[in-house]
Amino acid sequence: MSLLSLFSVSLTLNNHTILNDVSFDVAQGEVIGLIGPNGSGKTTLFNLLSGFLKPTSGSILFKDENITNVIPSKRARLGFGRVFQHFGIFRDMTLEENVRVALEALPRDKRKELGNMDELVDATLDMALLKPYAKKKAGSLSGGQMRLLEIARTLTSGKELFLLDEPTAGVSPKMTHQVADMISKLKQQGKTVLIIEHDLPFIAQICDRVIVLDVGKVVLSGNPTEVRDSEELKEIYFG
Amino acid sequence: MSFFLHILILIGYCLPIVLAFNLIFGKGKILHFGPMGVSAATSYAIFVVLMNTHSFLLAILFGLLISILISLFFSWLSLRLEQDSLGVMSLAVHLTIIVIITNWTSVTCGALGIPKIPRLSFMESIEMFALVTTIYCAIFLYFLYKVDKSSFGRKLEALAEHSWHAKSLGINRAYVHAIAFLILGFAHVFGGFFAYTYLRFLNTHEFGFQSLIFIVMAVVAGKPGSFKGVTLAVILLILLKEGIRFIPLAPGILGPVRLITFGIILFVAVWIRRDTLFPQERLV
Repeated sequence: MSLLSLFSVSLTLNNHTILNDVSFDVAQGEVIGLIGPNGSGKTTLFNLLSGFLKPTSGSILFKDENITNVIPSKRARLGFGRVFQHFGIFRDMTLEENVRVALEALPRDKRKELGNMDELVDATLDMALLKPYAKKKAGSLSGGQMRLLEIARTLTSGKELFLLDEPTAGVSPKMTHQVADMISKLKQQGKTVLIIEHDLPFIAQICDRVIVLDVGKVVLSGNPTEVRDSEELKEIYFG
Repeated sequence: MSFFLHILILIGYCLPIVLAFNLIFGKGKILHFGPMGVSAATSYAIFVVLMNTHSFLLAILFGLLISILISLFFSWLSLRLEQDSLGVMSLAVHLTIIVIITNWTSVTCGALGIPKIPRLSFMESIEMFALVTTIYCAIFLYFLYKVDKSSFGRKLEALAEHSWHAKSLGINRAYVHAIAFLILGFAHVFGGFFAYTYLRFLNTHEFGFQSLIFIVMAVVAGKPGSFKGVTLAVILLILLKEGIRFIPLAPGILGPVRLITFGIILFVAVWIRRDTLFPQERLV
């Protein structure tokens, strides 16, 4: 059964077609890499999936429910977790508050299901290796630490579908391994993940399937090895 | 002694209003310049009903109803407009309310105002009035402190820093804004009730830009979003405002001196906080 389905999704802004007839299914527990050159519409697709943009045509189904017109906060409560390209943490809040605010935004029954809030906050900071800095402002963290905090926060807040927008961007090579470890944990837990990445070896290492976008269209889809070795991919990137 | 009680009463009804405004303007970084419009509408709603029915309960209930309607309207505007547009629009709504009140003379007595406002019988003496307003202020402050430190406060702060990030966590902006505006509306209902039963007179001049500047100044000087800072700023500014009376100046000069003093304080406070007052919301 598909967890997420896109049917002929198109988006036009100011007479400019950003996404054109995008359709694909995402199965429960699948880890999918979304690649493509700059301006191919990857982040726009994430904004559309998160509910920040509404498609001009087409529909989006989550667990067989049409969510095309559902607002972002409701999508998050349905189980969408998003990691932003430019660090979606609140820099003026402490690390502890950053985790707490995410947990508090969950529906009441989900919060109860997850257990004790203080323990969850501790566990999240522990997972991100940031427990000693719990009372520090998040703005004082390095890019890598911010990324770890953001992923750990999304991980512990019981989301079902993770949208990770360039999770290794602005992260040191050492931290990239830690980010990869965290995504592997998601995979082990049977979570469904969509990742936008430019790092093809990273994608090949963790993804079950890769979707290639170019000029707003899905041009290629398959397992990472097939996609990596395809002539079409070389054509898209190198002309 | 009576000056001390007078200060206590002023702080009693001003502080909850300013702190509730701080929740929106300081913590929520919502450029709302219409609090005096809300205050005018709710105060007139209360006292028009009171003077016609002589029922304090009915008057307060009607004031609450009007405050809910206007607060939800401002909250709706805050969702639909960009920050600068909201600032201008909220001022326009404020002025519209004042114009309606001033010209609807058959109901509001227009520019003449509503005189001889009665007090609750147990609040006739200034001592009792000071005691009741102080108790009210303490209760409202405790409530606002709890709100500030609660999950609601964190959600408001998260939305202020980055609304997309906050929404992607599941925070409902419409709900959070509505609650923040309603809290300010309720502060205006009770603050207005105490203020004009104390003064025994209600006039549209009470809701001019001078009052708005005082509220904004208290929040900016006390550090936007800071509960303790804004509390301290309100107390000091009220002491300054009332203390100026003791300077031997002609009554015609006293008002302008007070305005100039407050203008200078606001200028200095904004200058000091120019980088952090309204930081640009981060973009995705």
